[in-house]
Amino acid sequence: MPDPVALLRGALEIYSPSGREEEIGRYLCEQMRAFGLRAELDGAGNAVGARGSGPRQIVMLGHMDTVPGFIPVLEEEGRLYGRGAVDAKAALATFIAATSRLPERADTTYLIVCAVEEECPTSRGARYALDRYRPSCAIIGEPSGAGSITLGYKGRLALGYRVEQPCVHSAVDMGRAAERAVDFWLAVKEMTAEYAAPSRFERLDAALMSFQTGGDGLTEHAALEISLRLPPGFEVARLRKRLEALHPDASLEVRESLPAFKAEKNTPLVRAFLQAIRSRGLRPTFKVKTGTADMNLLGPAWGCPIVAYGPGDSSLDHTPHEHLDLAEYQLAIDILADVLSRL
Amino acid sequence: MAECIECGAEVETSEDAEEGEIIECPECGVELEIISVEPLELALAPEEEEDWGE
Repeated sequence: MPDPVALLRGALEIYSPSGREEEIGRYLCEQMRAFGLRAELDGAGNAVGARGSGPRQIVMLGHMDTVPGFIPVLEEEGRLYGRGAVDAKAALATFIAATSRLPERADTTYLIVCAVEEECPTSRGARYALDRYRPSCAIIGEPSGAGSITLGYKGRLALGYRVEQPCVHSAVDMGRAAERAVDFWLAVKEMTAEYAAPSRFERLDAALMSFQTGGDGLTEHAALEISLRLPPGFEVARLRKRLEALHPDASLEVRESLPAFKAEKNTPLVRAFLQAIRSRGLRPTFKVKTGTADMNLLGPAWGCPIVAYGPGDSSLDHTPHEHLDLAEYQLAIDILADVLSRL
Repeated sequence: MAECIECGAEVETSEDAEEGEIIECPECGVELEIISVEPLELALAPEEEEDWGE
């Protein structure tokens, strides 16, 4: 069987920011074939691998795009450096290597979906996969650490605010567009304080992503991009109504709205992970994430047992030091192969 | 029947209990994981940790 480290190293050497996944897609198809899977690109450009042909589907879906910023690939002291080493090519390589170890089963098809465009608001690859599969259980490829599984992610509401008005002289006592945008942002921050909670997973957080102003001498404008991280059960419609009422003459566009998702933990899938992790002398942990992932989209749509799993320390996500401990990578492959054989 | 490892209360398990199943202590409410069925053995269920990343 080919070497899993070489598989991952090759994937890291291909720069694949969102929207530029053709080369990595072709590479992963070739690699999946080398690892004994059937593989092809689907209509969205996802690289899809399959093993077995039974009616029961076990779907493993991760993303093959990364955030921008190439990191030279380097192996040093048991660590592999490169963009995507954690988020999330390592999880995809773990899926491929673990699945290749399984015997073909007549009742089950193992499907690996290496999806496009997760690191951008479109989630195009996951949306394409959403209606095409009906899994009996699903594993999302994101870093949890080899001994942990991720049960949930906060939701996300991305808003674009824009106010436009005739220019006024700065000496006139009347709010400029820029000031009105600042007032709006401060009101958003004040509202988030109403949803205080002891844990970050359960509270509403807001971040100002960008602030632009401009004008042509006759009219002036100010625009904000705001990202809100939503706790479970949060009522987006109510918040949106309150925000729209603040500045009725401004425009407020919803760029993305994904509710939080938390998976059930008493499922055959979670049990298989707990047993596989404990059987290696480790104490498993559950994680809930303050970010958002394809699990938010696929969890409610598929309605099956689901977790996110993958090796790596997610505090290295999107950093210039992104790297993976190769011993942890091998451990994650062993654990996942064990999990799949128990399902 | 087993003992809650947190408060010592008696915890009932179903006949079809499985390894990895998570049950709640009726007395103290702590979550327990069945780590062995024969013999029945419980451990504290994994805690939920917050983490960032997406």
